[in-house]
Amino acid sequence: MTRLREEVKKALSCKRVSWALTRFADNYVVAREKAYAGKDFAVLRQRVAQIKEETIARLEELAEQFVREATRRGAVVYRAASAEEARAYIADLARAKGIKTVVKSKSMATEEIHLNRFLQEQGLEVVETDLGEWIIQLSGQRPSHLVMPAIHMSRQEVAELFRRQIGVEVEPEISQMVQLARRELRKKFLSAWMGISGANVAVAETGTVAILTNEGNGRLTTTLPPVHVVVVGLEKLVPRLADIVPILEVLPRNATAQILTSYVTLITGSVPAVDPEGNYLPQKELHIILLDNGRTRMAADPVFREALKCIRCAACLNVCPVYQQLGGTFGAVYTGGIGVILTAFFTGFEEAAQLQELCLGCQRCREYCSANIDLPGLIEELRRRVVAKKGVGPAARVALAGILPRRRLFHGFLKTAARMQAPWVKEGKLCRLPFFPELTEGRALPPLSSVPFRERTAHLPRPQSPRGKVVFFSGCLIDYVFPGIGEAVGRVLAAMGRELVHPEGQGCCGFPAWQAGLPGTFARLAQQNLAALAEIEAEAVITACPTCTVALKYLYPEVLKGDAEWAELTRVLAEKVTDFSSFVWERREELLPFLAPIREKITYHDSCHLKYTLRASCFPRELLLAGGAELKEMEPAELCCGFGGSFTLKFPELSRAILERKLQAIEGSGAETVALDCPGCLWQIGSVFSGKTKHTAEILAASLKYPQAP
Amino acid sequence: MAEREELISAFSAQAQALGAEVYRASSPEEARALVKRLIEATGVRRVALASSPLLAPLNLALVIEAAGAELVKGSLREQAEQAEMGITAFELAVAETGTLVQDATELDTRLFSMLPPIHLALIPVKGLVANLEEALNYWLAKGEIPGYMAFISGPSRTADIERVLTIGVHGPGRLLIVLLGEEEAELND
Repeated sequence: MTRLREEVKKALSCKRVSWALTRFADNYVVAREKAYAGKDFAVLRQRVAQIKEETIARLEELAEQFVREATRRGAVVYRAASAEEARAYIADLARAKGIKTVVKSKSMATEEIHLNRFLQEQGLEVVETDLGEWIIQLSGQRPSHLVMPAIHMSRQEVAELFRRQIGVEVEPEISQMVQLARRELRKKFLSAWMGISGANVAVAETGTVAILTNEGNGRLTTTLPPVHVVVVGLEKLVPRLADIVPILEVLPRNATAQILTSYVTLITGSVPAVDPEGNYLPQKELHIILLDNGRTRMAADPVFREALKCIRCAACLNVCPVYQQLGGTFGAVYTGGIGVILTAFFTGFEEAAQLQELCLGCQRCREYCSANIDLPGLIEELRRRVVAKKGVGPAARVALAGILPRRRLFHGFLKTAARMQAPWVKEGKLCRLPFFPELTEGRALPPLSSVPFRERTAHLPRPQSPRGKVVFFSGCLIDYVFPGIGEAVGRVLAAMGRELVHPEGQGCCGFPAWQAGLPGTFARLAQQNLAALAEIEAEAVITACPTCTVALKYLYPEVLKGDAEWAELTRVLAEKVTDFSSFVWERREELLPFLAPIREKITYHDSCHLKYTLRASCFPRELLLAGGAELKEMEPAELCCGFGGSFTLKFPELSRAILERKLQAIEGSGAETVALDCPGCLWQIGSVFSGKTKHTAEILAASLKYPQAP
Repeated sequence: MAEREELISAFSAQAQALGAEVYRASSPEEARALVKRLIEATGVRRVALASSPLLAPLNLALVIEAAGAELVKGSLREQAEQAEMGITAFELAVAETGTLVQDATELDTRLFSMLPPIHLALIPVKGLVANLEEALNYWLAKGEIPGYMAFISGPSRTADIERVLTIGVHGPGRLLIVLLGEEEAELND
């Protein structure tokens, strides 16, 4: 078992973290929606993205302008190339001033450079003043969330911590503990000689830094001590002061579903202060450290520069199904998917190379990003670079690069496996898999079908006078595990007067290879399938698997875009490819007359690719409703089932934990049937749900008034 | 001035939703009487008063005394530490977000709005703007941005323990807002 999987198992055993994070996540989605009332998130985040794109394009120029303006207003600006330089500057400054006590307000940039440990080693007393950060500091842990560092701790644990570390008896009552923190930290504020803060925005035009806080510790840190040090990453620059407005509108709404944080502080240059001895200083010392530490290198990277648009709202963590289970284990100093990318540049490629495996590719984070960053795309790119550098594991090399592109070998292998699985199949279910016993623990997986779909096509019903021809791309799961879905597709299309053609030469769509970071293997599969599908002149190419649709429609053109020979073919195919439910919905008038009322209480499960890439998850719902089904939505909606293709093989325990949450939502809906459009989700959900789990095509086919084509 | 009234009611609703208490006085006499009542009602004994051209004509030092409280003395830090209530003035308020906006470059304004457990904020209704963009444009139009600008929306809050919202961690736990109105505009409405 890999070290990472061990860590995942350890994190999963700490139920407290996932309990807190999932509870927060469920509330967050609803509260955030409310906070955006009257606002257009899509427009706002586009403005943020444009501002940050300008920043990245003009990074050096803006940095120089910021230095000039802030200096003119009385600040001292230091440009630190590395974490070491930033730390040394602050330590030297404290030493030169004879400073022994430092208060800090929350700053990820200082976490990134491990400032506290360094200053403490230099003999300084450093106190975090954000309540969550203070709790983390007292407990000697590391923050588990960008915005809510102590979200994983219970009130009892905090009370116990206060008793132990401060020596004060306090009831595990939150308002009492908050008052205790106020009293204790007020003493620190009043006696500190240096305040260190981060900044959410740095404005080149005016040399201003903006700090958003709720507790007020940011204001005290930047006001009481006579020396203020700001540590701010270069990417926080924006060109103009007016640019802070869209950031102020998005950041709090996306971070904590607040319309605005309690305090927004704009500091421009030096202002008056009184020191702890009561002496009035007309000009306090303001030092601003513009931190590079890998950011310039990132800006020079044609792909990863996009990650510099991040404004650290942490929405991507809040909605991430993996993060909800693992908390800080998914990431390093910066957590979650964005943390993986930042780690690659700020800390080290090796660490990021490990962590990227934890992304299951559900794409939900992209929907919520403040700056429209294609985070799933960045993680895919990171994975490709990891594979290019280190290769894939031996099992993946044989299976994905060796067998998958050799269609006959692959299909022969599946057929052999279908015969050999017999000893493990009981009542039509795989009960204990050899090699992967974790996968079958506590559930029954569907076995490989003894007769694949490709051998059943001869028996499909055919319309007597076909209205058109449709090419069906079945994909591996339908072909070899769920051929019934393919047959259902055939029956529904026959009722609609369509002749279904299943070209023999098609194989795996290649997504597993793409997902594993093997674009070369993927391109080979793309060419094979294109050649097979192009042979037949058809109205449309449909699939009953959203992942296959995404591969054919979006990924083939991407991977073959440089290839003149294939570019035109991919373009033509991409236009014709559609998923089953969208195709039927568009032509529903041709089907509905043949449908008997669907008398079922159904809850619909959104597959990630159908919802977030194809944006088609409304169509199967509409179809089922039009067919007379009673639709019961799940609460919360939008939960991933945890399948993620090879993810479920790599992290079976994690995949299972995510599935448990899905199962609760399904059972909470009171529906007898889960409808879905993705055979992967069906594989995953069907193995645990006690009710029926069916593809939309199967539900429609079962309701056809004339089981044989008219 | 229907538009101003809309801004006032939007601001009040939003600020109250954030946990601030909003009052309104339509004349200097009303403002003085209101501040006296608020000091009496909160029961504070020691009050810190920031100097400001807006507050000067209200002569609040006398009001504080009349309410049975005293103005704190000593260095600015000592005043801020001792005061149970700080009184400061604001130039702008943002209706959409319930936010008060202040040039807090002067140390007394900054300290008295941060340290005492109760913050009494006075703001002329003519300073109400619709949104953050208008607020920022106001300062941009004035020339150089002040050294320390404070945007305050409701009292200090935290949700760092178990995500439970708790008021008054490092900053004031109570924010009392007095809108100083112009009578004639409202009577004509």
